[in-house]
Amino acid sequence: MSQTYRATWAQCRAEMLRTIRNRRFVFFSILMPAAFFFIFTGTMDGGGIHNWAAYYLMSMTSYGVVGASLVTFSQRVSKERAQGWIRLLRMTPLPSGAYVLSKAAAQGAINIGLILVLFLTGGLSKSIDLPASVWIEAGLWIWAGGFAFMALGMLLGTMRNSDVVQVLATILYMSLSIVGGLWMPTSAMPQIMQTIAKFTPTYRMGQGPWALIGGQPVDWSGIGVLAVYMILFMVVSAYIMKKQEAV
Amino acid sequence: MKHEPAIQIDNVTKQFKDKKAVDRLSLTIEKGSVTALLGPNGAGKTTTVSMILGLMKPTSGTVKLLGGDPHDRAVRSRIGAMLQDTSVIDDLKVGETIDLFRSYYSRPLPLERLLAISGLGAERGKLAASLSGGQQRRLGFALAAAGDPEVLFLDEPTVGMDVTARALFWDTVRAMAGKGKTVLMTTHYLEEADQIADRAAVISQGRLIADGTPSSIKASATGRSISFTAGEALTRDMLLVVPGVADIDWKGSRVRLYSTDTDRLIGVLLERKIPMRDIEIQSGGLEEAFQNLLKKAQ
Repeated sequence: MSQTYRATWAQCRAEMLRTIRNRRFVFFSILMPAAFFFIFTGTMDGGGIHNWAAYYLMSMTSYGVVGASLVTFSQRVSKERAQGWIRLLRMTPLPSGAYVLSKAAAQGAINIGLILVLFLTGGLSKSIDLPASVWIEAGLWIWAGGFAFMALGMLLGTMRNSDVVQVLATILYMSLSIVGGLWMPTSAMPQIMQTIAKFTPTYRMGQGPWALIGGQPVDWSGIGVLAVYMILFMVVSAYIMKKQEAV
Repeated sequence: MKHEPAIQIDNVTKQFKDKKAVDRLSLTIEKGSVTALLGPNGAGKTTTVSMILGLMKPTSGTVKLLGGDPHDRAVRSRIGAMLQDTSVIDDLKVGETIDLFRSYYSRPLPLERLLAISGLGAERGKLAASLSGGQQRRLGFALAAAGDPEVLFLDEPTVGMDVTARALFWDTVRAMAGKGKTVLMTTHYLEEADQIADRAAVISQGRLIADGTPSSIKASATGRSISFTAGEALTRDMLLVVPGVADIDWKGSRVRLYSTDTDRLIGVLLERKIPMRDIEIQSGGLEEAFQNLLKKAQ
């Protein structure tokens, strides 16, 4: 038993190292959201949104976490599958569950760091003043939502062609972020777009933190929607993986 | 302890959609042996190894690895494998990758030793993805050996390795075999199989066509041949009627005749005034024996 624990822990550490060394991760999940944050809070006033800088920091932090889980994560899973790495792992005593678990745990830990870095960068540079409880609750909300996107990344990763995965993940990432209101607030969108946005997991990711900043009551169904998405993606990708393994 | 073979394949067939990759194959591999699975590309060697490792399910028949199921973690902790077409993991260094694999096993070999046997001591701090093809194969070997396995699978292990790396590799495998490890390898470098294996099982079109020590296989096949450059008047039909010719191989103007008794055959050829120049008589290595076995099987 302790052997499994040791192996899972080593696997976790290796996954974290790999993520931090990955240039795409640094670009999509830290540099790009930070740059967008400074550009949009510097040039726009948010059209009457209360505490615009804080609102947009939440949007961009969500954007970064979604990118980490969707773009970097999915491509890595796909590459490992295509390059026979997963086949090799299947012959080692590492339980297959430990592989998925350590990937999710490592990404979860990375996401905490990511949220902290973006909160600190945005918060200090724009002197955003929020109660500690709001920072913590908003951060937790975004962090928890990240798991739904990891499950989506895992699903995309079941495809063997990692070039296709990269393109598809990037398209999904951008379109979900725009439609879900992470780039531009949904309140600036036409009514029909606002209705569509409610179905996206990206909107649900921002929904909690935006409400917290605005001092509105938090609608917990948002987390529920994210959980449903997560379970859906997990079931489908588990089904596909089972089918792929049964040769 | 009960005597049990390392690997037992019993009447195994693997049917793919359009092709029978393995056809009623039975093979028992004893502990401590070094066995080479020989065969041309597409013979079913890798499919066979994949079934032994539990990566593929046989369509029918049974496979036992160390007396059990290859999916069993207790079994997997006692084996190591170097597969074909396996790349390295991104964004990890050589030493880190080996350490990661060491963590999967309860009694791993020391990192220093694994670096030494794979000849990667100097590359320890390099990213694995930056290694050359041959170095990546050697890293694959270090990973296969990480858990100090009882049974080592090597699927076309030396492809891409240079001469020095190959020599070190075989020295290491020989040393492991000397310590009682079981080695099963697939290869089409027959001279290597001849040097390292104490048993060669030849597979063609999914069937076992020969099984024995490499030297017995050499002997059982028609391993001797006469080759010469054909004169213009020579036809295939003229050679076919010559007694003692087992087979004819005709490449350009160069002809090779296989025979069990080349001494007598050369006499007959001269007697019949067969037009030939630049005559050579060869005793076949395993390579030729192998080619002959394949011809016989077809």
